[in-house]
Amino acid sequence: MIEHLAPELVNGVVLGAFYAIIAIGLSLIMNLTGTINLAHGSFMTLAGYIAFTLMSRGTNFWFALAAAAVCTAVVGIVVERLLISPLYKRVPLYSLLLTFGLSLVFEELFRLIWGPSNVPFSAPPELSGATQIGDVVLPTYRLFIMAALVVVMIALLLFLYRTRLGLRLRGAVQDAEMLAALGTNTQLLYMTNFALGILLAAIAGVLAAGLLGLGPTMGNELLMPAFITVVIGGMGSLAGSIVGGLLVGIAISVTTLYVPAASEVVMYVLMAVVLLIRPRGLFGEEGIFG
Amino acid sequence: MTMRSANAVGVSFLGVLLVLLPVLLPAVGLNISLGTTVILFALAASSVNILLGFTGLMAFGNAAFFGVGAYGSALFIADVNANLILGLLVGAACATLAAVIVAPFLIRRRGIYFSLLTIAFGQVFYFIAYRWSGVTGGEDGFSMTKPPILGGSTPTLNGASYYYFCLAIFALLLFVLFRIVRSPFGLTLQGIAQNEARVRYLGINSDRFIFVALVLSGFVAGVGGALYSVSIAFSYPLLMDWHQSGDFVMMVILGGVGTIWGPVLGAAIYAIAQNVLSSFTPAWQIIIGGMFIFFVLVFPKGLLGLGEARRRREVAAAQDPDVAVAPALEVGLLEGRHP
Amino acid sequence: MILVSRDSISRKAFVASSAAAAALASFPVFIPRRSAAEDLIQIGVTEEITGVYAEAARNEIRGMQMAVDQQNKAGGVLSRQVKLVIEDNANNPGTAVEKARKLIQVDKVNGLLGTVNSANSQATSNVCLEAAIPFIDTGGHTDSVTGTQCHWTSFRTCHSTWMETHATGFSIANKLGKKWYYLAPDYAFGHSLLDGYKDVEKKLGVTSVGEDLAPLGTTDFSAYLTKVLNAKPDVLILMQAGQDQINALKQADSMGLLKRIPVAGPQGELEYFWSLPKEARVGYWGIEWYYKSALVTGKNRAAADFIKAFTALYKQPPTARGVFGYVAAQRLMAAMEKAKGTDAVKISQALSGEHFAGLWEGDAYYRDVDHQMIWPMWFGQVHSEGKGGDEYDIFDIADAQPGDKIEKSADEQKSVCKLNYP
Repeated sequence: MIEHLAPELVNGVVLGAFYAIIAIGLSLIMNLTGTINLAHGSFMTLAGYIAFTLMSRGTNFWFALAAAAVCTAVVGIVVERLLISPLYKRVPLYSLLLTFGLSLVFEELFRLIWGPSNVPFSAPPELSGATQIGDVVLPTYRLFIMAALVVVMIALLLFLYRTRLGLRLRGAVQDAEMLAALGTNTQLLYMTNFALGILLAAIAGVLAAGLLGLGPTMGNELLMPAFITVVIGGMGSLAGSIVGGLLVGIAISVTTLYVPAASEVVMYVLMAVVLLIRPRGLFGEEGIFG
Repeated sequence: MTMRSANAVGVSFLGVLLVLLPVLLPAVGLNISLGTTVILFALAASSVNILLGFTGLMAFGNAAFFGVGAYGSALFIADVNANLILGLLVGAACATLAAVIVAPFLIRRRGIYFSLLTIAFGQVFYFIAYRWSGVTGGEDGFSMTKPPILGGSTPTLNGASYYYFCLAIFALLLFVLFRIVRSPFGLTLQGIAQNEARVRYLGINSDRFIFVALVLSGFVAGVGGALYSVSIAFSYPLLMDWHQSGDFVMMVILGGVGTIWGPVLGAAIYAIAQNVLSSFTPAWQIIIGGMFIFFVLVFPKGLLGLGEARRRREVAAAQDPDVAVAPALEVGLLEGRHP
Repeated sequence: MILVSRDSISRKAFVASSAAAAALASFPVFIPRRSAAEDLIQIGVTEEITGVYAEAARNEIRGMQMAVDQQNKAGGVLSRQVKLVIEDNANNPGTAVEKARKLIQVDKVNGLLGTVNSANSQATSNVCLEAAIPFIDTGGHTDSVTGTQCHWTSFRTCHSTWMETHATGFSIANKLGKKWYYLAPDYAFGHSLLDGYKDVEKKLGVTSVGEDLAPLGTTDFSAYLTKVLNAKPDVLILMQAGQDQINALKQADSMGLLKRIPVAGPQGELEYFWSLPKEARVGYWGIEWYYKSALVTGKNRAAADFIKAFTALYKQPPTARGVFGYVAAQRLMAAMEKAKGTDAVKISQALSGEHFAGLWEGDAYYRDVDHQMIWPMWFGQVHSEGKGGDEYDIFDIADAQPGDKIEKSADEQKSVCKLNYP
């Protein structure tokens, strides 16, 4: 079995990178406004479908990826302004419920527009096939996903720590009232923050479509591991999301190899253990959500 | 008009409606077992309400208790003794046992962490039902035939008679819940919902109360599930999935959180709307999801919560994670950080 | 909290909220009723109209509707017109039971047809037993419907899981080789497929050189596929379905496995293959019916007419699902005619054992002992492109297996299935 461990670990890292990117998006949204976005998966799926539609009209993969990400972020802004911002004054419970209902609506809309079965979404030909690294043969697409997600993370960090908008966002997380008192348009910030989270989800969604197949429930299947990643890594911590994602991804892959029957539940067990021992997560801050 | 008489009138009205349901439903082109489903889902929603409405805890895993009750009674009736009453007791006992097993873990956290833990444990039960297919039939489900009420040659309840049987048990449980809510125990739960820190400062071990609330919730959901698998003569893993739990939460929100009859009304609206809408359009899920979104935005207290007085609640600014304040349904934990 | 607060609410608020509650509670009164049918024969249908099986369900319904329309043009059944009353079971067994009961108790249908998902088929079959209404399972494959949970009311049109493994198993041994490697999904369906193939092993002297159970939702099969390459079987029998199957095939392709070892499996559905990316359209699969093969439709005129009419109406060729619906509806109506009425016992007896010509070469019949329809199953290779300008024609049928050879014998079934006619 041991010779299978290396590719399985790589697989776990790739999955983990996915969970990390989605978790960062969730975490950004949760952190600033306390919104628990159960429709996050729907946005991922939406991006996948938009990319699919563009590609079947002849555009190339890269353009479709960029366009889908932007369009989905715009949809996110509309949803945020209309449905989510009224809930900012209330407890997180309501955003959880509303986005739960929203995910049901989205799922059915996807079925009505693109059909209930999976649609044939392929990675671009230059990314299919396999690459050999030492003894291990890896599908090129997975390597690409890892690289893409690393790029996204670096870009995100640069944005948050090197731009004025990023500075304001981080400031709003610390103390939104003060920021508003200083004259910043906090509503605009919340909108931007949400759009940023959705942008990350959209990128992950298009990448996932090529790996997992594109159907109405694709994003929802990735959502639970992503929430678990947020919990394990700690809300409000980027490093936590990355480490948490890798932990979850690797745990699932390794369990699939050695104890396949437990692979679906291992992430829940992991989360339960973390919640009981260190509820703030590995890197989380105390006091957020108790 | 005082609360007492308002309640009395409301309760009598709903009571009469429920007693006449086996006549009303066919009159509008629906079948009686849909009424049974409404009653049993109302039990499941009530079990969620014990945690959500009275204790202020968002439970997203009650479908697991419902499902354990369903499989418990189904397996007992099919493989051990075809006796409805015994099967019901066994199913309820299994669900209560499940609650006793998971409660020690759940009581250690509050808020969103509590909710995620309920989802986690709920999913573990779901996967057990799915994987242990030698016993449960896995995704193919588990068939059974309706058993006689006390085994042997006693009559088998069907249709309207089964509905009234369920209604009787439901009424009994609802009355018990009504009394519990007004009892010192129930009042303590509501105190925990409003301000757990205060309750603990008074020397009350809130963990123990939440434990009992969880076990009670598991029991009520288990009764509903045990009766449901007999009603449809089938058990299946999706009964335990967290989406089913989400549906039960939806029913509570629609009907009115923290009221005794709210979950019943919510279950009725949800079950009947789904049944009727799906006969007319494949887009019924959009309508139900949209209706839910509308309620969350505009009527968060649900239909029966409309007349309720608002209450403000203090929020401790610095949170000690061990004694976190449970989120109530008005002002929240993050008030200091909210826009 | 209503019960704790000492505040009294105003009379207005109370009246308003109870009026709202009463209005909502009584909204069922405003539900539009379907028109009652005095001189119609109504056949109920529950299908997975919403959910992941919606395409297959839609094709089954299309087949049923075609059969009914045809029959009505020819004068109906017992000189009455036939109407299909269609309900959505939302791919949920609880809902399937409610809808079946609604069709039976409220719409008073004389027979029931459906579903795609096995659990829904079994649950619906149970309801029909309880209500003593004839039921034909159109597309649910689980063995129990005509096995351990068979009922005198219930029949099945599509092949059982046992038939699928045996039809493909025989063909695979014939055409591809007798050293097999099994890769199956780790849930009830996967286990029963594995059991079926192991029975074929015994019957034909096939050897298995390896076996793996992969959890549902596995995205990376490379570990398993490496084992397959090392074991050097004649064939890899791949039992995953849906996205798992696509992932496995894509990875097998990228690892070069497909060039060395053919991949085969128990069931290929056209609705599914048409939606696949081209690189996943590989392998040899069992198929329950195909619209463009001499081995399947041969000289059967009814088949040619059916294919022509379906394609004209729906702008795409019919699939096995359409055939399930068509044959089931047609046989139910024929049984009512033969039974000279809608008595359930007489209909079941009329359906049982009667040979008829279907939409394929050779005849078929619903077996007396378990009510399973005995008809051939086919085996072929899927291609990424359609043949001869027809983008839908992606299958090459290579082999056919006769129905009575691929199902359990009547004697074996007698001990498992007790129909218990009243």
